[in-house]
Amino acid sequence: MLEPKAVPIDGMLRINMGPQHPATHGVISFIVETDGEVMRKATADVGFLHRGVEKMAEITSYPGFMPYTDRVDYLASMFANHGYAMAVEKLLGVEVPKKAEWLRVIADELNRIASHLVATGTMAMDLGAFTPFTHWIRERESINDFMEHICGARLTYNYMRVGGVCADWPVGLSEKILVWLDHFEPIIEEFNRLITGNEIFIRRLANVAVIPAELAIDWALSGPNLRASGVPFDLRRSEPYSIYPELQFDVPVGQGTQGTVGDSYDRFWVRILEMRESCRILRQLLAGIPEGDFKAKVARTLKVPAGEVYSKVESARGEIGYFLVADGSDRPVRVKIRTGSFTAVALIEPISPGLMLADLVAVIGSLDIVAPEIDR
Amino acid sequence: MVSTVQTAVGQYLRNISNAVFSTFEGMAVTMSWMFRRPMTIQYPDKIEKPIEETLPDCYRGILEVDTGVCTGCTACMKACPIQCIRIEVGKNAETAERFLQRFDIYVARCMFCGLCSEACPTGAIHHTSHFEIANDKLDNLLLHYVPGEPIPVYKPKKDVEPVRQPKGQPYLAVRALCAHAWRKEDHPDGSAPAGGGPK
Amino acid sequence: MRQLADALLVTLLGVDPATWPYAWVVYGAVMLASAALAMTFVALFAGPVTVVERRVAGRMMSRIGPNRVGPQGVIQWLADGLKCFLKEDLIPDAADRPLFRLAPYLVFGGMFGTFVVLPFGAHLVAADLNVGVLYLFAISSIVVVGILAAGWSSNSKWGLFGAFRSAAQIISYEVPSALSALTVVLFAGTLSLQGIIREQGGMPWDWFVVRTPFTFAAFFLFFTSALAEGNRTPFDLPEAESELVAGYHTEYSGMRFLFFLFAEWANLWIMSAVATACFLGGWNIPGVSPATIDSATGLSFWGLQLLSFIVFAAKTSALVFIVIQLRWTLPRLRIDQLLEMCWKYLVPLSFACLLGVMIWAWGVTVGSLVDLGMRLVMTCVGAGIAFHYARRVRFNYMADRDNYLKMTGKELWYPPYRLP
Repeated sequence: MLEPKAVPIDGMLRINMGPQHPATHGVISFIVETDGEVMRKATADVGFLHRGVEKMAEITSYPGFMPYTDRVDYLASMFANHGYAMAVEKLLGVEVPKKAEWLRVIADELNRIASHLVATGTMAMDLGAFTPFTHWIRERESINDFMEHICGARLTYNYMRVGGVCADWPVGLSEKILVWLDHFEPIIEEFNRLITGNEIFIRRLANVAVIPAELAIDWALSGPNLRASGVPFDLRRSEPYSIYPELQFDVPVGQGTQGTVGDSYDRFWVRILEMRESCRILRQLLAGIPEGDFKAKVARTLKVPAGEVYSKVESARGEIGYFLVADGSDRPVRVKIRTGSFTAVALIEPISPGLMLADLVAVIGSLDIVAPEIDR
Repeated sequence: MVSTVQTAVGQYLRNISNAVFSTFEGMAVTMSWMFRRPMTIQYPDKIEKPIEETLPDCYRGILEVDTGVCTGCTACMKACPIQCIRIEVGKNAETAERFLQRFDIYVARCMFCGLCSEACPTGAIHHTSHFEIANDKLDNLLLHYVPGEPIPVYKPKKDVEPVRQPKGQPYLAVRALCAHAWRKEDHPDGSAPAGGGPK
Repeated sequence: MRQLADALLVTLLGVDPATWPYAWVVYGAVMLASAALAMTFVALFAGPVTVVERRVAGRMMSRIGPNRVGPQGVIQWLADGLKCFLKEDLIPDAADRPLFRLAPYLVFGGMFGTFVVLPFGAHLVAADLNVGVLYLFAISSIVVVGILAAGWSSNSKWGLFGAFRSAAQIISYEVPSALSALTVVLFAGTLSLQGIIREQGGMPWDWFVVRTPFTFAAFFLFFTSALAEGNRTPFDLPEAESELVAGYHTEYSGMRFLFFLFAEWANLWIMSAVATACFLGGWNIPGVSPATIDSATGLSFWGLQLLSFIVFAAKTSALVFIVIQLRWTLPRLRIDQLLEMCWKYLVPLSFACLLGVMIWAWGVTVGSLVDLGMRLVMTCVGAGIAFHYARRVRFNYMADRDNYLKMTGKELWYPPYRLP
């Protein structure tokens, strides 16, 4: 339980870092107890962005909840879409057409790159380097343009539907994306020259906030954060869904390239490697999108048979899972959303003792925490 | 002992050279950007063509309704997750003819999800590529697509294409809503946009 | 400034300053005028350089930067200044009011005080003190008092953090910065900045930076320490915006806030000017010896003054650009790494440089074959670094050129002089 925020502690300084603070990535607050620059404890104080998304699901129809899932994680809403669509499809027993699966995975991987761009960019920005961030935002702008062509929106995509996707693949977009990939892959190298290899940057991240594999598993960390700790667990590989079994890609894990396995630098580096893997996946997918329908025939007013289901996808921030309880009506009885950032933000408290105040910023950035995903 | 000292000295020198060379590489990257084209688009006044023309067809902008082809089925109203569409369909007791009494869209509440336009059987309700709806009065964002007299609903006939309003030419309500948006052709001298919403 | 006033008397009034009884009036007027001139110069530098910095930063970030206020945004700084003037001057309730009000002026005074000895040209200097370098380090330490006062008096935890970081940082970095500046003092045999400049020449191989490998290293050490003293990235910990919100000036607003920023940008000139004076030949015009400037009379005297100022300003501006570029390239150090860098790297290295210069100055006579050979070698090393840098820049440009053209249909080439 949190103590009152203003109570003084003997010999310590208590700082409320947030909810309006430039480095907390949205409205999260950290209650930091420091002894000078060294932290004794940093506790996340979440809930400022709680919108009751799960409760909203209970009063909206099944297809009507799809736009709300966009808002679960505004930097990677494709995954939230995908997970929810899969959950409802499992209960309905709908077979998703092959083409729809391809389009979904293309959108997922584009979104994964976009999300990692923001994650790695803001991480550099939190450490004081502004230029890498704007360069990444420039690349993300291209992805936003693609998304605009794919689904008509730049941020809250609402692309997936129960049984498929909302629109057919635009003509000529595959070529555009391929040309962009040709441009983007050398730009990753340029980014590495600019910031990844920078000695100050390495020093700020290497051996900072090491999360050993056991601790990561104990705290149910998932996604790139877990893989950075050396655990090769990727839902795309471990429990494959959609068309991932047909694709060639590697699952990068933390190697401790500049320090210890599971340090902040590994979490950064794994994301860079994942972007390269996503580029590889995209090249495979765009080489041949199958012909066919982009959406299965689904009744307009969905009446989902009673039952329970848990579906999960590998989001850019770890596992995003939907636990769905249906009672046969046109509305869910309960939707529980499991997100990666929520577990990641909880882990800050046990790893914070002994870090410096400036490291907290690096840790928040390296765990890639996004406020709406924590609070929902 | 000697080897420990050697590694320590080696590490010391390596740290210095790493710091110097990585800074050098980073500066070479930032310097190269002094000669590379910036990404910025100087919206709204210094762009090559109106922003609407650069948007794809499927862009989800402000909703507009082609009341000429609306069947009054209220599918959009049911599909809307946030109830920002309000339709009232009346019925003439004598002729049993249905007509639209009211078709309101509350743009301030709309989240541009596109579920209504997908549900529409005739494409009467659809997204435009207009998005500049910043307004100083919330009431202005309530669009009445049946402004006056009730409009008879459209009855689909076999083999007859409905007469649609031309695409990309939004109706008065949408155009009025975006009337205060900054347009280059309205401000050839580059002056600032005038405040206020549609009159 | 004395020579300048004398020259003025001779040129305009035709009297001999040594015997003319009213010379002190002219001296006093010249003193006041030079203070006002320096002040104006600071204002006219610190203001526009904010715009320059933002434009340069914009281009490095593949943006444009401010280009709306006035043609190409040239009077953006006036608009910013005016805005700060009109803002409410907030003083927190729990603040220590007198100290809170005083702090910005301490910071500004510390910065401005250095302009007393900073040369602008051959005789364009407010006072050519014979303890110039010493004075420079002493007066710029007042800044830390101001920053400490600002952080402490605002009664904000972020401000306090910033203030203490700054105190630790500036006091530590005084040491390597002074030690590396001592190398050129040893060479020149004087503490006067003008004296140091006069010992160098106009050509690159006459500069102190290429005299020995030790001064070459000392230049970079000095430059790094000066960055740290001026709170510039990668050493901007006292105001690290992603950690401390705004550090020591978190609670400041309006005009007082402006004073801090004013001092920060004025310091950009100071650090670059001192580095130029000590290592890069100062105002020495290539091909014209300082003695020629001294003995020149009339119009040619004033013309040479102007030319020397232009040379000095050009060199300093190049360094200012590098400082700006470094800020937009590097991330920020952590406080323990900052101090580690100072005490484990900069201090020993600058001490080694000092020792090296001592031995060199004792063993090698100026003008001997060894001296000339070393100058040649070090000049080639410097040119080689510049050449390699240009090659890397070109490499980065070429890596994206064709892909960019294919992707957007536009040429990637967009040189800095092309204004959007």
